[in-house]
Amino acid sequence: MKKILAIVLAAVLALSMVSFASASSLAGEYDIKVWVADAVVDLTEAQIKRFNETNEDGIKFNYTIEKMGEGDAASSMVLDVEAGADIYCFAQDQLSRLLTAKALAKLGTKAAEFVTANYDADSVASVTVDGTMYAYPLTADNGYFMYYDKSVIPDEDVDSLEKLIEDCEKAGKYFSFDLKNVWYSAGFFFGDVGCTSSWVMDADGNAKGVVDNFNSDKGLVALKGMKKLLDSDAWNNSSEVSSFESNSAIVVSGTWGSTTAKQILGDNLGVADLPSYNVDGNDYHIGSFFGFKLMGIKPQEDAVKNAALNKLAQYLTGKECSLERHAENGWGPANLEAQADEAVKADPILAAVYAQKEYGQVQLAISGAWWNIGNVIADEAKDATDEEGLKQVLVNYENKINESLKLDANALLFVGAWNGWNNADENDTYYLKDGSLTLDVPESDYMGGRIVKPADWGTDKGFAQVTTGAELIKDLGADNPDNNIVFAEPGNYTVTWDGEAITIVKN
Amino acid sequence: MAQLSDLEYLKLSKGRRLGYRLGRFFAKIPKSTLQVFQRIWEFLKLCVTTVGREAKDIITTFVHGDWKTKLSYLVMGFGCLARGQILRGLLFLLFEIVFIGYMVLSGGYWLSMMPSLGKVGPTEEYNEIYDAYVHTYNDNSFQILLYSVLTIFFIIAFIYTWRVNIRQNKMAEKILASGKKLKSSKEDLRSMVDESFHKTLLSLPLTGIIIFTVLPIIFMVLVAFTNYDGAHDGYINNLFHWVGLDNFNTMLNWTNASGTQSYAATFGEILSWTLMWAFFATLTNYFLGMFVAMAINKKGIKGKKLWRTILVMTIAIPQFISLLYVSKMFAKDGIVNGALMSLGWITKALPFWEDATWARVSVIIINIWIGIPYLMLMATGILMNIPADLYESARIDGANPWQQYTRITLPYMLFITGPYLLTSFTGNMNNFNVIFFLTGGAPTNPAASSASGSVGYTDLLITWLFKITTGPESKYYLASVVGIMVFVVVALISLIVYNVLPSIKNEEDFQ
Amino acid sequence: MSETSMKRHMGLRASRTLANTLIYILLIAISIIWLIPFFCIVLQSFRVESTWQVGYVAPKVWGLDNYQKLFATDFPRWYMNTFIISVFTALLQTVIVLCMSYTLSRFRFKMRKPLMRFMLILGMFPGMLTMIILYRVLKDLGLTQANAVPGLILVYVASSGMGYYVSKGFFDTIPKSLDEAARVDGATRFQVLRKIILPLSKPIVIYTVLTAFMGPWGDYVFARYISFGASAGMNVAVGLYNWLTPDQINNNYTLFCAGGVLVAIPVTLLFLFLQKYYVEGVTGGAVKG
Repeated sequence: MKKILAIVLAAVLALSMVSFASASSLAGEYDIKVWVADAVVDLTEAQIKRFNETNEDGIKFNYTIEKMGEGDAASSMVLDVEAGADIYCFAQDQLSRLLTAKALAKLGTKAAEFVTANYDADSVASVTVDGTMYAYPLTADNGYFMYYDKSVIPDEDVDSLEKLIEDCEKAGKYFSFDLKNVWYSAGFFFGDVGCTSSWVMDADGNAKGVVDNFNSDKGLVALKGMKKLLDSDAWNNSSEVSSFESNSAIVVSGTWGSTTAKQILGDNLGVADLPSYNVDGNDYHIGSFFGFKLMGIKPQEDAVKNAALNKLAQYLTGKECSLERHAENGWGPANLEAQADEAVKADPILAAVYAQKEYGQVQLAISGAWWNIGNVIADEAKDATDEEGLKQVLVNYENKINESLKLDANALLFVGAWNGWNNADENDTYYLKDGSLTLDVPESDYMGGRIVKPADWGTDKGFAQVTTGAELIKDLGADNPDNNIVFAEPGNYTVTWDGEAITIVKN
Repeated sequence: MAQLSDLEYLKLSKGRRLGYRLGRFFAKIPKSTLQVFQRIWEFLKLCVTTVGREAKDIITTFVHGDWKTKLSYLVMGFGCLARGQILRGLLFLLFEIVFIGYMVLSGGYWLSMMPSLGKVGPTEEYNEIYDAYVHTYNDNSFQILLYSVLTIFFIIAFIYTWRVNIRQNKMAEKILASGKKLKSSKEDLRSMVDESFHKTLLSLPLTGIIIFTVLPIIFMVLVAFTNYDGAHDGYINNLFHWVGLDNFNTMLNWTNASGTQSYAATFGEILSWTLMWAFFATLTNYFLGMFVAMAINKKGIKGKKLWRTILVMTIAIPQFISLLYVSKMFAKDGIVNGALMSLGWITKALPFWEDATWARVSVIIINIWIGIPYLMLMATGILMNIPADLYESARIDGANPWQQYTRITLPYMLFITGPYLLTSFTGNMNNFNVIFFLTGGAPTNPAASSASGSVGYTDLLITWLFKITTGPESKYYLASVVGIMVFVVVALISLIVYNVLPSIKNEEDFQ
Repeated sequence: MSETSMKRHMGLRASRTLANTLIYILLIAISIIWLIPFFCIVLQSFRVESTWQVGYVAPKVWGLDNYQKLFATDFPRWYMNTFIISVFTALLQTVIVLCMSYTLSRFRFKMRKPLMRFMLILGMFPGMLTMIILYRVLKDLGLTQANAVPGLILVYVASSGMGYYVSKGFFDTIPKSLDEAARVDGATRFQVLRKIILPLSKPIVIYTVLTAFMGPWGDYVFARYISFGASAGMNVAVGLYNWLTPDQINNNYTLFCAGGVLVAIPVTLLFLFLQKYYVEGVTGGAVKG
């Protein structure tokens, strides 16, 4: 009896699968909750209504739209994913937090192909973590640049941080730059100085490792530049364009402030990319983060609803809707077709964002702990009295990063420059928490470094010899008391540590 | 410290009397600690003997009881029903049915899951047809913990009721044996508003307190022994589990391997500022509030009601409006700095919120603005109650106003508001609103900010707690450990003050 | 009256006048400091030339636009929510607090002392911690988001029994002989409470109602948890605070000020009229509390 039942069930199941597979119809009504920023609530409502009327799949959404700022969406979402919105917009820096909370549904294979084909390449990278995509790029404009008051700042001074500070001090005005937020202060490290800080994240939003060289001579130069502003009485820690109303002559902020800035300053409003600072006779242009706003879908228990939500997300981040948001709110689209539109190309504010992007670092998934670690750089640097003090700021910074990685017993640390061992300036450190790490080793004189255990960071001696893949590294013979590893050829390598042995594979 | 006789004690000056009492208190600590342990031991002994006695009583009641009593062991309230106390019997029976139903339907499940806090976590599966990942959510650690605690509460309540049921049978048998009549349902109802009126009155408030205060506190204490955080929410991403004392070990470790500040050190820093804040906030409000009340109450001052109403505005207007605005007023580019600069009193902005010391002093001073009115109102009433002839006779004796204040007003106030001072001290320790809306904890304390969220110099323990739970990693387990430590600190302070304070009260009695 | 005593008398009067003048000056100074922030907020609410924060106080263009705009937002809803929460909390909480404090003041039963000690200890736990769990409990009961209003009332009222100190202190001041006389005349305990104690307790009843009514207007942290983004379940604090988030502040700052002024009105008025009872209540309570 049971057997028969099982066969019948299987047959019914198979039949239903076939019928689904042939139709895979998404037609139906779905109750959804949507979180978008205040500015686009009405617009989004109109867009969803239009989607309901025009979509060819017969999808009908019964929607509830709630106001939720892109910065707050994640903190609400992680509090209670169950009660959160089915589809919501968030700023890219919240991505790893949402991954940890499992508040984002992975994009399926076809959806991922769709994203790759239709959106700005950098934005595609920003939604990809460990090879999987987690959201749809909504805007590609989340960077910052400089708004200034032309009646105080002469146009010829906008390229030099020193001159800007001097102008502000002379006029008794403020230079507003939110340096206590590392999203802004990291700009000093990124630009011409050339520091990087990029994290290796896994699908759970945990940091697997980091490539970060703030604690280096380059980082020190950046900090010296930042210190000039920190020490000035003109510095005001704000990124609100409304600061123009309270005695600011310069505000470093993003596109979201453009409308207000125009209303306050009128014809006196100037917009420019960030200036350069001069340390030891060299000019370094300040960089910035270049980030994205994303639209994510909450994990669903129902495949059909998930698929329908994907359709909606594709529509809302598509050309038509993106252009509407640009026209109404000045949001720069991530959609390629929309980016090619004349109106978008002609937008001066977006031009400033893109000009600044040249010096920027594209914002990828970042460990949630980094924000708190980095936010104090400005506070500490302001208190530092000499160069030693500034160096200490960077040492503290690195210590905290190590702490946050929670390196466990199997952790390894790659010390050295895989592209120039003898050049201390080029000292990049790769951390490998557990598992494997992929390294790019470019052509150079000495393509090597050393692997040490976290507890031995102070010592010079390398930790272990390579067991598998030894043919990929040079045999240094007896002339290698420190257990250095030097790659025979440049290339892309994956290094794996399983707790006992190191395996190197060339990709 | 040697104990002084009453006479010797009274010869001491005031300052030395306080010193003597403090000294006595600390000298007594070893003895008191021992006493506490003794009491715990006695309590345990009492528990054991009570349980023994109860058990014995339960058994003897069963052995000597009639069949109605015996059946009541299984069917609660049967004895009452059989003896005509319908209302009582029905209530007992109903409770038993509800209890058994609950245990069968869900209570048993929750209890069985309590040791593991969930076995099957959420799963994710790719559906090729719809190109979608489908999620299935299974056990929910949070609910398991919550409902198993609730179930334990319920079981305790059931055992207690069962015991009452048996005792009532015994008493009923006794009453009937002595030839008296049992209380009817009507009489039962009447006693609810008479002899047992206190039970009626307390039932509602206590139920509320048990469900909405006691239960959550027990739950949160238990969380300190789990790994419940943002990455282990127990349902959507990962189950959470018991971790024993791990969290306490993390919290109490003084050194971190990588040289960053440990939780214990951060806790110490924040605690010392919290105590400092509570001390100054309480003291400034107390004396300035009293002073303002005396000024308004002074004879010949007109418009008393007007002055009071103006001050009371800070109570009447919600703090999230007024404090947020005040916070902005004192910002670097706020109107206070602007006004001072345009007056030419300062050349560069004062760092009200930027510098640690400035910020701490600023919050204490702005807190005066919030706190004075409460004290002013209270002091107003108390001052009016001071017998006027006390002042009259003092004046005749030639006491000047200052002497009148220190000899009459202040002792009287202290006498009456002693306990209030303590509650206001602990209240200030947990004064979330003022710090949250004024500074949000700023300026940041770089040393303390490593793994503990963005800790600032004006952060109190309570705002730190909030930051831990809402921070990027939502470490609920850590917040729970900190919460337990806050409890210990507050309890310790209260203990010390209660031991020192009563003697102040007795001593300052008016001669 | 001798000449010297006359002189002394005049001297006294002069010094009293001087002291009073000083006190007036002081009180005026305090009043100004106390009122400046409120005054500024009121002025901001009448500013129509711009909607963001500015560095000056007096509006350049005056108008009621912000107040008009308020009614196009969800503000009336939040206001109504808060009002409903406050009224219900005030009524129920008063009943609970009075039950609790009256019992602890008037009855002597076995568990009285342990109960009071227990509640004292409970009060030492930081309540902040229990928010997450209360949120979950209310969610299981379906009382979050759009249904946050009954949920908030439930939580405010349920734990209010802990705050019995002041009113217990007040009841302690009412002589017990009154109860006993009535008991001798055959009144039940309930009748004693209703006919004898309550009429004497007007100040403390009003004090409790007033404090209970005021609480919900300013609660932000917990109310935000419970409403969880649903505008229909927000109270004024949560709703108004949202206007200060970075993406809204430049459009809604003056609106926030206008909302703040309207929120302040009912509580201020209540305080204005019931101040006398508040003082009597808190004093009566503190004397023995």
